[in-house]
Amino acid sequence: MTREMLFDGVQDIFRDIFDEEDMVIEDKTRSDDVEEWDSLNHINLVSAIEKEFEIRFALEELMALKDVGSMIDLMVKKLK
Amino acid sequence: MNEYKFSDIEIGLGESFEVKIDASKMDKFLDISNDINPLHVDSNYAKKKGFPNRVVYGLLTSSFYSTLVGVYLPGKYCILQGIDIQFSKPVYIGDALKISGKVSYINEAYKQIEIKAFITNQNNEKVSKATIKTGVLDE
Repeated sequence: MTREMLFDGVQDIFRDIFDEEDMVIEDKTRSDDVEEWDSLNHINLVSAIEKEFEIRFALEELMALKDVGSMIDLMVKKLK
Repeated sequence: MNEYKFSDIEIGLGESFEVKIDASKMDKFLDISNDINPLHVDSNYAKKKGFPNRVVYGLLTSSFYSTLVGVYLPGKYCILQGIDIQFSKPVYIGDALKISGKVSYINEAYKQIEIKAFITNQNNEKVSKATIKTGVLDE
């Protein structure tokens, strides 16, 4: 799966979690940029990504992420 | 009350319990919610609309999903974070319900579990199903 495919899949998950059909995320998108991206929705995002892509994250890995791009990079690494 | 800790929980772990619906539960739910819709409070109206009797509030029966996670799975250390419910059949006063749930997903990083749950009546018909997300607090 290419990085672009992963990104598209993650964008669909964002649209579902935040109930915004037209939501567009970028590599530099951070939690501060999305009003409803609170701690509970963060857990929901991580859970949805884990289930959709059949991967698991450790808390330390998640704490090191700074934006959507770093999440996608981590996913690419895990799915290699 | 069960006291499952996060480390005790695995995919497939399940719990269930039974409850009987009586008129006093309907009265108490009416008092709390003030939902005076005639389908729930007027048996004549319900019969005119094709139901054998007044219909039990969907959210009354769904309150047992709260009990499922708060008392049984995981029990004491539960912190309810989300619930998605679908109703499939009406419930009536006098019905005996069985509420069942099984762990279907575990988020190790954030100590959240997902439970696939459902409620059946005395005829083993599924009246609703739910996906429940709950955190598990540290001891």
